[in-house]
Amino acid sequence: MTSIRRTATVLRAFWQLNWLEELQYRGNFIASLLGTVFWLLMAILTAALYFRHTSRLGGWEFWDVVVLLGIFNALAGVVEAVLRPGIGHLPADVRSGALDLVLVRPVDAQFYVSFRRLDVWRFADVVLGLALAGYAFVQTGRPIGAWELITFVVTFAVAIAVVYAIWVALMSLAFWFVAVENMAALFDALFEAARNPVSAYPGALRFLFVYLIPIAWTTTIPASALTGRLRPALALWALAVGIAAIGASRLLWRVALTRYTSAGG
Amino acid sequence: MTSGTTRSAVAVFRDQYAELMRSAFLIDLQYRASIAIWLIWGVTEPIISLGIWWSIAAAGAVDGFTREAFAQYFFGVALVNQATLSWDAWNIDRWIREGEMNYRLTRPIAPIHEAIADNVAYKGPTATIILSAWIIAAAFWPAVRIPFEPAHWALAIVAIVLAAAIRFLNGYATGLLAFWTTRATALVELQFGISLFLSGRIAPLSLLPPRVAEVAGYLWFPYVLSFPVQVLTGTITTTAQYVRGFAGQVIWLAIWLMLYLLVWSRGRRHYGAVGG
Repeated sequence: MTSIRRTATVLRAFWQLNWLEELQYRGNFIASLLGTVFWLLMAILTAALYFRHTSRLGGWEFWDVVVLLGIFNALAGVVEAVLRPGIGHLPADVRSGALDLVLVRPVDAQFYVSFRRLDVWRFADVVLGLALAGYAFVQTGRPIGAWELITFVVTFAVAIAVVYAIWVALMSLAFWFVAVENMAALFDALFEAARNPVSAYPGALRFLFVYLIPIAWTTTIPASALTGRLRPALALWALAVGIAAIGASRLLWRVALTRYTSAGG
Repeated sequence: MTSGTTRSAVAVFRDQYAELMRSAFLIDLQYRASIAIWLIWGVTEPIISLGIWWSIAAAGAVDGFTREAFAQYFFGVALVNQATLSWDAWNIDRWIREGEMNYRLTRPIAPIHEAIADNVAYKGPTATIILSAWIIAAAFWPAVRIPFEPAHWALAIVAIVLAAAIRFLNGYATGLLAFWTTRATALVELQFGISLFLSGRIAPLSLLPPRVAEVAGYLWFPYVLSFPVQVLTGTITTTAQYVRGFAGQVIWLAIWLMLYLLVWSRGRRHYGAVGG
């Protein structure tokens, strides 16, 4: 228990420094906000284009899809704010041997590597995404109930766990393939598919996204929860997937670390 | 002392190019795994679009586009996109920000030639990989077979090369704005976002609202992707369409070439003024 508290204390100190540093780059905030708004607009226009030629996308109406796009943007914000600056740096640390300096510290290495650095401005993307999801939800005209809200909060947390586990899995590959420096691009490519409900894809791709690359659990499930199309059994499955994702990331990290022999090893 | 004095400027230039391409290719070879990831990254967008349109077209053709037509179109997009990718703005941004532009300016050959050699050395092999994947897919999946017409394919190669040249100069000239601003790559991303629609990246142009498609026709976007894809998949049929397409390509190539020359000469002077 004390080790967790120590890790928390260390991280808090890092985040404070991090925050002071980021405050100097307020111009980046405006630029990143403009970028996010632009890409959100492109995503909504893409959905609008699909809906010019169909009334439903995999059984979803237009505003349901926009709810999903909002959730996608919020998750992308978590990726940009926490994962990319944190665990996204793991391959570089493995290559240079800088991971040595992490491993000798009296903190949980996985925890530290994952949350050491925050790109704080990108948390605005989370806010913007959730605001869009909320606005689109109102447009759907559906009533909001306690069940929808609770399952949404739970499945959104599961989504974050799944995205985190995917990042740990991809970045841990660096322990085996030291020369690959653009592993994050693989995530970016696959995550693009989460911009649409999985039911909108043909069978083979749907299977891929539910079971093999589990991005179905990142946007489709929370959006289903909010729009009242999530069956209780699936909500329980989501919870199981979330716990499994955290467990798997922990296990993978342990296995991967045994491969580490420092730079040049 | 025979070769040094009698070699023509053209021969020297050709040798420099051969050397630049050889070194670019050898560097790429070192990063095989990274390139494999970039390849996957490049083809996912057309695959996702195809997946969605394939589902939408389940109920029947969408404005004349059958499932097969969508499959051929987006395989074409994957191939043409790989052959026309433009990443140079990010390189230029780094060159200027980290001072790597300085030694490039002292070379007897302009940095754009290094970039061209780099592009050819990368796109040749990687586009061949996508083409091979297409041929293998076509063996099992009749939907993605396109008519065997050597004359069409020859024209398609010309259209793809012109498209690659336009998009390269467009990206390079925009990237050179880094001489003045630190946000030049944002301008490239902005154009990329617009190209999702106006280049026919996420849907064939004829599925856009007519007015948007009309605006696209006045810009370079359709000529760098949509037009070569249509030539390749055989959906361009009349001579008038060919003439209009190739004329558009030549005009936009000339415009972006002039813009490049303008930005390069002004930018170089500006850069000297700041650094000196």
